[in-house]
Amino acid sequence: MEYIYTLVILIALGVVLASSFNLIIGYAGLVSIAHPVFYAIGAYVSALLARDHGVPVPVAMILGALAAMAASIAVALPSLRVSGDYLLIASIGFQLGLLEAIKNVSFTGGAGGLTNIPPFLIQTAGREAYVALVVGVAVLTVLLTRSIAHGPYGRALSAMRDDELAFAALGRNAVAMKVAVFALGSGLAGLAGALYAHYFRFVTPEQFELLQSAAILTMVVVGGIRTTWGPVVGAILLQALPQAITFLDLPVALLGPLQGLLFTGLVLVFMFWRPQGLVAAGEFWRPSREAPDVGRP
Amino acid sequence: MSAVLEIRGLDKRFGGIVVADAIDLTLSAGRVVGLIGPNGAGKTSLFNLVSGIFPADAGTITLDGERIDRLKTHRRAARGLSRTWQNLRLFPSLSVLDNLMVGPRHYPGEKLWRLAFDRGGVRRREAETRRRALDVLERTGLAAVAKTRAADLTFGQQKLVGVARALMNESRCLLLDEPMAGVEGHAYETMQRVVRDVAASGVAVCVVEHNVAFIRDLCDEGVFMFAGKVLARGPVADLIADPRLTELYFGT
Repeated sequence: MEYIYTLVILIALGVVLASSFNLIIGYAGLVSIAHPVFYAIGAYVSALLARDHGVPVPVAMILGALAAMAASIAVALPSLRVSGDYLLIASIGFQLGLLEAIKNVSFTGGAGGLTNIPPFLIQTAGREAYVALVVGVAVLTVLLTRSIAHGPYGRALSAMRDDELAFAALGRNAVAMKVAVFALGSGLAGLAGALYAHYFRFVTPEQFELLQSAAILTMVVVGGIRTTWGPVVGAILLQALPQAITFLDLPVALLGPLQGLLFTGLVLVFMFWRPQGLVAAGEFWRPSREAPDVGRP
Repeated sequence: MSAVLEIRGLDKRFGGIVVADAIDLTLSAGRVVGLIGPNGAGKTSLFNLVSGIFPADAGTITLDGERIDRLKTHRRAARGLSRTWQNLRLFPSLSVLDNLMVGPRHYPGEKLWRLAFDRGGVRRREAETRRRALDVLERTGLAAVAKTRAADLTFGQQKLVGVARALMNESRCLLLDEPMAGVEGHAYETMQRVVRDVAASGVAVCVVEHNVAFIRDLCDEGVFMFAGKVLARGPVADLIADPRLTELYFGT
C-alpha cells in the first residue's frame, strides 16, 4: 500500500509541476526549462526552516513556495526586460549555479543530500491524509491553471503571444504579465518541492538537475501544451513509466540512462506523429464555459 | 479647441537616413488631421516615434500637457494614445469580439491578484466590456462576424477590426496608419463614418493615407511630409492643388 501512496504522490506532484510549467512555457510562451530549480528551492527552504529553525511545517512550506516565487522574480525581471530569449540562458545558469552551490555548502547537506527532514501529517493523521493533501494541491493547481487560461487573463496572454507590440500599444505591460505568470508557476513548483521534502524526508541536489527539466518538459509536450488536461495525462504517463521499467529486471546502472532515453525518445516520437501532444489545443483561444454566450440574438 | 497631442522639434535619424527632422505638429480634440506624402516621407515613422516603438533623438511629445516622450509604448498607450497598424497586427488566435475585449487600456481581469481577490469585480467588468465591444462591432458593421476568427475575415473587414480595437481603448488621441489601404466598397463609407464619429466624440485623430479622396472627404486639415520634414499644412484641397507638392509626391 505504501508503494501505491508513493506513486500517487509522485504523480500528483508531477501534475503540479507540469501544470505550473504549462502556464509558463505554454500559456505565457516563456522559454525556460529551469522549473526544477524552483522545485528545489521550495524543498530546501521548507526543509531547512522546519528542521533547523523550528518553523512549523505548514508555515515552512508556504515560505518555501514564497522563496521560489521571489527567486523566480529575481531571475525573470532583469532578463525579460532585455528580451524573452535571455530568460532561457539566465534561468539555466541559475539552475546549474544554485545546485552547484547546494552541493558545496554544508548546511544544505552538500552533494550527499539533506536528511532528517521533519515529517508532516503522516505521524498524526496517517499517510492517507498526506496523499489527500498532495492530491488536493494538484487538483487546485489544475483548476487554477484552467481559470487563468480561459478567463480574461488567458485571453490577454494569447494576444500577447500573437503580437507583443500590438499588445503593448493597447496599454498592456507585457513584461509585468510575463513576470507574474513566471512567479506564479515557479511558486507552485516551490510548493510541490516542499510537499515532496516533508514526505520523502530526504532530498539531494541531483534530483533537480537537467534530467528533471527534461521530464517536466516531456510531460507538458507529450501530454499537450496549452491544454488543461495535457500536463495531467503527461504527468501520469511519465511518472508511471519509470516505475514500470523498474519492474523489468535491469541493472541499476542502466535504469537512469534508460529513463533519459525514454524522455527524449517520447519527445522525438511525438514531434513527428503528434506534435500537438496527446490532448490537442486548438489554435483558437476559447473562453471557459461559464462565460455568457454572445454573438447570438 | 484644445491641443491633445503636441509634438515639438522631433528628430530621428537611422545612420544617415533622416526619418524625422524638427517636426512640429499639434493634434486637437475633435479634429482629424491627414498626413500625406510619398512613401518614405516619414509618416509611419512619426507614428512609431509618437507611440514609442523607437525613441526620438530629440524633441518633446506631450499628451494632454504631460510629457510622454520618455515613456515606454505601453505607458503612452495607458495615458490615452492609441494607434492602428499598416500591416494590421490583429491577434489571429482570437475571435473578432475577443480582439476588441483586449482593447480597453485598463483591464482588471489582467491582474492575477484581482482574479484571486476580486472575482466579482472582474466578472462585472468583463460583462460591461463585452457590451461595449458588441456596441462597437455594431457601429463598425462587424456584428455578424463577432465570433469569427480575426484571421478569417476579408482584408477590409480586418482593417475595420483594427480600428474597432483601437476604439475600445477610449483614447484621447488616435493614430490611424493607412486605414483604407485594401479597403473597398461598403467598408469605405463605414470607415469614413466611424472616424468622423470618433472625432466628434472629442478625440484627436491623425490619419496616414494614400487614398486622396478619403483624406479630402474626411480631414479638417492636411499636413504634407517629405524626407522627414513637414513641408506644408492647410486644407487638404489646397495641398492637392499645389503643383510643387504634387511634383514631390509623384516624383516627376
